[in-house]
Amino acid sequence: MSVNEKQRNKYVTFKSGNEYFGLKIEYVNEIIVHQEITEIPESDDYIKGLINLRGKIIPVIDVRIRFKQEPIEYTDRTCIIIVNVNDIVVGLIVEKIAEVVEIKEEDILPPPSIVIGGDEKVQNKYVYAIGKVGDSVKLLVDPDRILKDEDITVMEQAIEENTEE
Amino acid sequence: MKILLAEDDFVTRKFMTNFLSKYGECDVTVDGMEAVDAFMMALEDDDPYDLVCLDIMMPAMDGYQALMGIRNLEKERNIPKEKEAKVIMTTALNDESNVKMAFELGCTVYSGKPIDQDRFEQVLKKFGLI
Amino acid sequence: MAEDFSTQGMLEIYLYENGQLLERLQEIVLEYKDEECFDEDSINEIFRAMHTIKGSSGVMMFDEVTRISHKLEDVFYYLRESKPDNVPHMELVEHVLQVVDFITSEMIKIEGGQPADGSAEDYVTALDAFLNKIKNGEGEAKKEIKENVYVEPQQFYIAPMASSSSRFYKIYLTFQKDLPLANVHAYKAVYSLKEIAEDLLHYPEDIISDESAAEEILENGFKILLQAQCTEEDIRGIIQEGYDIQKVDVYECSAKDFQQGFDSVGSEIRIDLDAPIEETSVAGGEMIIMAPATQEVTEKKPIAPGDFVIESKGPGTGKKLAKDKPKKHDKAAFMSVDIRKMDMLMDLIGELVIAESVVLQNPDLQVPGLKLDNFTKAARQMKKISSDLQNTIMSMRMVPLTNTFQKMNRIVFDVSRKLGKDIEFEMIGDQTEVDKNVSEHISDPLMHLVRNSVDHGIEMPDERAAAGKTEKGKITLSAKNESGKIWITVQDNGKGLDRAKILAKARKNELLDPYKLDKEYTDKEVFQLITLPGFSTKEAVTEYSGRGVGMDVVVSNLQAIGGSLEIESVLGQGSQMIMKIPLTLAIIDGIVMKVGKSAFVLETNLVKEFMRAQQDMLVMKPDGQELVMVRGECYPVLRVGEWYQLSDYKLDMEKAMFVLVEIEEQVICLVVDDLVGKQEIVVKPIPDYVKKVKGLSGCTQLGDGSIALILDVGALTK
Repeated sequence: MSVNEKQRNKYVTFKSGNEYFGLKIEYVNEIIVHQEITEIPESDDYIKGLINLRGKIIPVIDVRIRFKQEPIEYTDRTCIIIVNVNDIVVGLIVEKIAEVVEIKEEDILPPPSIVIGGDEKVQNKYVYAIGKVGDSVKLLVDPDRILKDEDITVMEQAIEENTEE
Repeated sequence: MKILLAEDDFVTRKFMTNFLSKYGECDVTVDGMEAVDAFMMALEDDDPYDLVCLDIMMPAMDGYQALMGIRNLEKERNIPKEKEAKVIMTTALNDESNVKMAFELGCTVYSGKPIDQDRFEQVLKKFGLI
Repeated sequence: MAEDFSTQGMLEIYLYENGQLLERLQEIVLEYKDEECFDEDSINEIFRAMHTIKGSSGVMMFDEVTRISHKLEDVFYYLRESKPDNVPHMELVEHVLQVVDFITSEMIKIEGGQPADGSAEDYVTALDAFLNKIKNGEGEAKKEIKENVYVEPQQFYIAPMASSSSRFYKIYLTFQKDLPLANVHAYKAVYSLKEIAEDLLHYPEDIISDESAAEEILENGFKILLQAQCTEEDIRGIIQEGYDIQKVDVYECSAKDFQQGFDSVGSEIRIDLDAPIEETSVAGGEMIIMAPATQEVTEKKPIAPGDFVIESKGPGTGKKLAKDKPKKHDKAAFMSVDIRKMDMLMDLIGELVIAESVVLQNPDLQVPGLKLDNFTKAARQMKKISSDLQNTIMSMRMVPLTNTFQKMNRIVFDVSRKLGKDIEFEMIGDQTEVDKNVSEHISDPLMHLVRNSVDHGIEMPDERAAAGKTEKGKITLSAKNESGKIWITVQDNGKGLDRAKILAKARKNELLDPYKLDKEYTDKEVFQLITLPGFSTKEAVTEYSGRGVGMDVVVSNLQAIGGSLEIESVLGQGSQMIMKIPLTLAIIDGIVMKVGKSAFVLETNLVKEFMRAQQDMLVMKPDGQELVMVRGECYPVLRVGEWYQLSDYKLDMEKAMFVLVEIEEQVICLVVDDLVGKQEIVVKPIPDYVKKVKGLSGCTQLGDGSIALILDVGALTK
């Protein structure tokens, strides 16, 4: 995936629970409104099912459930972010989409060690850094980890982050 | 051995001249018409070519026409089959129909390009040219 | 036959024809191996085959192949003319097979662009000795026969050098948007390639003086055809992406493509990896609709001298020939098609089926009172055409299993001889056709199963005698169509599988549930144990069956194409390995059903019957299994919604439907909420990301855009 100069520091941000999360734009194929999801029996709770996107059948994950937050009813604000991670195409169902922001390298800091709402261990699993945008912070997440089902220890995570970027 | 080369492409011409000069003295022409003229001149001087290398795709006259021209000249002078010049067509064209036509018109060897130099030598030996 | 190939390369024809002849030779030999000797017809056929191979190999200057075929031709010439008795048949058979193998291996080398450097010396000497032996065996009555004179060819064909030399590339350059003077940048690129180029063409042609070229280049990209002795890396080293060039695409192509220049009718589908999923853009200017001109050519125009005179040759243009050579394949009996194009065709037909249902089931048409007679008639016609289209496309991909089975014949012969076992080989139903993809995937598993039968299955002759078996060891390969699947069976009358031994080994390797008793395992389950990875009852690993690369690989190969392996066996009598493979994966006729909010699909031909649900038809067995009584017969019941624990599912028995499905003589009853209808569905795989769910073999889109899950009845009945 070629990284265009202009795209390098752009992130798609979305709200989940009380926090705003950010996702590197190069993983994002498109963002669509919530649509009918076909349930897949016997699948993990966070895999909500399949959607039909212009002829392609794509699995979708509920991000709130993945982050071990209480699931909520889908509204007309609910969106699905279609991401492509290493050729795996998956939709992320998020509560609310916020804007696309640019976060420069110097505004990216290591993740918080204190708990910010929700399960610390879980959030640290997916959040690899925080980005400062004006007065607010966005928790930057790695879609690869959201997709994968591994349990990484805090230690491994720390090592990974030190070698990231 | 006296060799006549007909090749319109500059790069290939350089390559072929280098390659063939190992075996004998090489005269170079750039199209079918020139080649037939050169062949005729050599016949008139009683110093005919032993080997003729013809490209197929050439301006003015293509390799097939040149081949016909050469064989006709030889027939006219009643040159016996064993004494005929050996004609090698060299070309990137590889279809069976191309090969068939070449053989029917009297070519001795049809060599696809890029040229397999070892085989080329082998065939020259077979005909006692080297 | 030569007519059909006139547009193919000499080498390809040579390899193809030889391939055919060699296959035929092998067939004849295996047919006659158990006879006393070859009959007159087969001797003639073998003689003619060797004569042809000798001739063509002579012209192509493959000297060793010429030598060996000449020698064998001599032998059969003698057999034909002299008709001697008492020819050592087995020896002769081996000689022929050796010659076939030698020539085949040389053909493989040639095909792969390698020199045919094998030496026929030993074989020739052996054949000489053999020929002398039979000649001298004749004794007094030596008839006068003509010498088999070898006339050297007078004209030769030298095949072009393969890999190590010139290669051909198509290069597409995409320049940065709004780059000024793009034509100048294009010229820079061309100039930098001239160093290594043996020949180079580009489009647009005039990039130096024509300024409108810049626009063309920015819009449609800059195309270069290159002939050079370099690699793709070399090209990328010379032309790099940067401030002016946004993207460099390099595709290797054939000499033919290069010679056709930019008039190529062939289209390339360029997939832009950076674009969002739906875009498979066809780069403008590449896809050229078949010009009517080419369709006018119905008679084959033969080539003639003068066709190859070059009209014009300026910088950057291809060699335009005096006679435009149209593509002519009209008389071809066969045509080779890029398999990727076939796959694309399959995908497209799938999309067509879906689009059709979207049209036919369109909500716009559901207006009550609408008179749709003409529409319905037209729709019926359309359906018929699209159905014919589907069938034709699917049949294009079908190949008979004959070749695959024949290969097995040879394997049985070779391996059995080496082991000293005498084994008969039988083929049934080899005319059965399967999708090309399938036939490629079953070749390896089949080979393994056959080798197993020969190596482990059939006993040594003394063992068989001791067991009182009078018949010869026999391996039967059969293929048949059964309920939408192809069953390919490898059956042997060998010693069969030892249930006790298998269980013991499985226990030892801790493959079994420690709490389940041996006797609780059915025979079928026990036999399946041998397909578990790492399992092997034969202590000594033989050369022929290998180690661990065994039954588990066979099973996973089959699963990759949606198939399965079943094993049946009787100790002392033999075993049956049955590969069950779905015929075509793509489009099936299905019945759509609703269960709660979900839609499921069943293959139509599996549905025995359906009826309104009636509570009083249901019976509960003491072990918890529910049954349904239908006309005196009992069938197990599967409540789909409950079984899959669909969220918020409540079955209303009053409104439900019972669907009886039959697969492999087992019948079960599914309980669903409603039957929606019968339609053709395009089978799509459930995305890999989602873990496999038991009983689901795929999914599909219905006419209204919703997704239905496809039920794998076979899995449900287990």
